[in-house]
Amino acid sequence: MGSLFALAESMRTLGLLFTLLVVTPQAATDQKPSVPEGTIITSAQVTGFDIDRLSPGLREAIRNLAGTPLKKEQLDELAARLEGERPRYVAAVRTVMEPGGEARVFFVMGRQQEPDHDDNVNDRYIVEQADITGVPDAEITQALRDDLKALVGKRLDSGEADKLQERLDRELPGYDVSRRIQKGGEVGRIKLLYEARKKEPPPWLRFEPLRSNLIYHSEQGWGGFWDVNIGDRTIRFVPMFALANSEDSIEESSSVGLRFETRKLGTRRLGASFEWSWFDQDWRTQTLGALPLHPEIPLPYDTRTTVTPLLKFAFTPALSLAAGVSISELKGFAPATESQMANAAVASIDFDREWKDKSDVTHRAVASFGVRGGSRSLESDLAYTRYLGHGTYRFDFGRHHVQATGMAGGITGHAPLFERFALGDSTTLRGWDKYEITPVGGDRMVYSSVEYRYTGVSLFLDIGSVWDANTERKTRVSTGFGFHAGPAYFVVGIPLNTDNLTAIVALGLRIPGVGIRW
Amino acid sequence: MVTAQRVAFALLTVLGLTVAPSSAQTLTVDTAGDSLRIRAPGFSFLNGDPLARLKDGRSVRVELAAMVLPAPGKSVVAATRRIVALSYDLWEERFAVTTVEKRAQSASHLALAAAEAWCVDQVAIPLNALGAFGRDLPFWVRLEYRVLDGDTPADSTESGYTLQGLIDALSRRKTDSSTHALEAGPFRLPARTSSRLR
Repeated sequence: MGSLFALAESMRTLGLLFTLLVVTPQAATDQKPSVPEGTIITSAQVTGFDIDRLSPGLREAIRNLAGTPLKKEQLDELAARLEGERPRYVAAVRTVMEPGGEARVFFVMGRQQEPDHDDNVNDRYIVEQADITGVPDAEITQALRDDLKALVGKRLDSGEADKLQERLDRELPGYDVSRRIQKGGEVGRIKLLYEARKKEPPPWLRFEPLRSNLIYHSEQGWGGFWDVNIGDRTIRFVPMFALANSEDSIEESSSVGLRFETRKLGTRRLGASFEWSWFDQDWRTQTLGALPLHPEIPLPYDTRTTVTPLLKFAFTPALSLAAGVSISELKGFAPATESQMANAAVASIDFDREWKDKSDVTHRAVASFGVRGGSRSLESDLAYTRYLGHGTYRFDFGRHHVQATGMAGGITGHAPLFERFALGDSTTLRGWDKYEITPVGGDRMVYSSVEYRYTGVSLFLDIGSVWDANTERKTRVSTGFGFHAGPAYFVVGIPLNTDNLTAIVALGLRIPGVGIRW
Repeated sequence: MVTAQRVAFALLTVLGLTVAPSSAQTLTVDTAGDSLRIRAPGFSFLNGDPLARLKDGRSVRVELAAMVLPAPGKSVVAATRRIVALSYDLWEERFAVTTVEKRAQSASHLALAAAEAWCVDQVAIPLNALGAFGRDLPFWVRLEYRVLDGDTPADSTESGYTLQGLIDALSRRKTDSSTHALEAGPFRLPARTSSRLR
C-alpha cells in the first residue's frame, strides 16, 4: 500500500523539511542513530495536522501503535494512509529513542504545494458569485469577506475554496459550515456558496449512566440488569429489568422500572428525571440469619416500590446539582398487611470533567456528594440521614489506563436495608463476599481502589471497610487481575488480610447501555 | 382472467425481487494482457452522502482495493489499491474521475455506472502476483471501497452501544465501519476468457 500511495521523493520537498524543522525542532538537533526495529513504542502522535480530522479507522491505527514493537514498514504504511486521506499533505515518519530504551513515533505532516492539476472538473468554470449564508454579517470579518469576493470572476480554485472553508471553520466556531457549488446564470459560470448552520450547544447535564450487566460471581451466583436507552440527545425513556441483581446493595432483587429524563427544560442548565421501580426481594439466608442480632435495623420487606422525581441544575458543564424526593413503600412479608414508608429528601452535587493534554493523554475526574434524609415530615416511617461521597480519576494513554476510586459514607438514624452500605461484589472489594463480611450491610463505609489496565489485562488493589457505628472497624484488602474484551470481563480477586485465602471469580458482560435513538 | 394476470404479475415481481439482489452483486473476472481484471456491475459506491457531495460540485475520493484470496476469510495472496478522485460536472451533468498517483489517469463525461466501472477497472491485479493461483488453484476475489471524504460519525459513547455496535463488540469485529466489500468465488483463471461467479 505504501508503494501505491506514497508520493515521489520529489514531492517531499523543502516544505516538508521546513515543517520538520518547525514542528519538531528537537528533530533537527537529534543526532542519535535511528531507532532499531522491534523497539517498543510508547506513544504515536500526528503533528502538523489535527488528528481528529482523520478517519476514525486511521486514528485508531495510529493510537494502537503505543505498546507495540516498532516496524518500519508498518509506519510507512500509516504515513501513506495519511497522505492518501489528505492528498494536499505529505507525511513523514520521525522516531525518537527515549532514555529508557523505548521509542516515540511522530507522523509529521506538512502541506505540499498545490498540484499542477486539480481533481475537480468544475475548476474550469468561472465563479460568478461567492457568498456565505446563515450567519449575521457582523460575525464575518472584513478580511474574510474580501477573500470571498476575490474568488469572483476567476476560475474555481478548489484548493482556495478548501482553505477558505478551513478559515470559516476557525473563525466561526459556533457554526457548522458546508460548501456547495451551483450552476450560475450563464453556461460555464458557477456560484460558490458557503452555508453556515448554528451548532446546537452541547448539553450541560448528563443522563444517568446506563449500566446493563450480566454477572456470575463465584460466591453470589448469577445476576443481571438491563436498561435500554430510547430517546435522543435531550430526552429519553429507560426501561429497566433486573433478575437476581445484588450489585451495590445488600438487597438481592428482581425488578422492573422506567425512568424518564430530560436534560433541557427551557434552558440547558435545567433538567429533570422521574423514575419508578418495583423490586421483588429475595433475601440471602445470611442476611435473614443475621438480622435478629441487629434489632436496631428495620425489618426486611417482601417488595419495594420506589418513585424518585428529581430536578437538576447545571452551574457549569462540569458541575450540577440534583434535588428531589425518593418515596419508597416497603411491603412486609405475609401475614403482615401493613407497609412501611421510607420517604427521603434527596440532593446531590456532581462534578464530571474530561480533558486531554498535549501528549494525547485523556483525563477524567468524576466526583459526587449526596445526602438522603428520611423524615417524619415526609410521612416516612423511618427517619434517617445518609451521606455518600464518591470520587474517581481516570487516566488513558494509548493502551495504558489507570483508575483510582475513593468512597466514604455514613448513616444516622434508622435507615431501611436498601440504604445500608455494602462492599464485596464484582466492582468493590473484589475478592471478598459482602454476605459473608457484612450480611446486613453497615452504616459506615470507607473504600478506595486503584486499577491499572494495559489493553485487556488489569491489575487492581482494593481496600475498604464497612461497619456499624457501635462496632469495631475492620479494614479489608484484596488484589487481583482481570481480562477485558469489549463488554466481556473475567476478574479474579484474592483477599489479602485473611486466613481463608480463597480467590473469588467474577465474570460476565458489562454494557454501558443499548440504545435506540430517534 | 384478471386474477390470473395479477397472480402472474405478483409471482414475477416476487421472483424479480428475489433475483435482483444476487444479480446486483455479480462479480466476474477475466484476463487482459498481464492483468486480472474485475467486473462488478452491481458494486455501487456512489450513493447517499458521497453522491450528494458530488452533486454539490465537490470532489470525493474513494479508495478501492481488489484482493485475491485462496478461500473466504484467508490471508490475501495479491492485492491492488488505488485512490480515485471523482467530481461531477455541474453543466454537463457527467462524472469525471482521476487516479490519485504520480502518473494520474483520468476519464470524463461518464454516466454514474460508467464512472464506477472505470474505477473498478483501475484495480486490476498483475497476473504474475498470483503465483500458483494464476495457473491451477481456484481463488476468491474481494473488492473493497472506502470513501475518504466524509463527515466523522457522531460520537456515540454517551449512549453506549447501538444494537449493531453491541453485536460488533461481542464478535470483536475491528474492521473500519466505512469499508464496504464484495467477495466472490471460487474462480479458476481462464485462458483469456471470462469466468463468471459460480
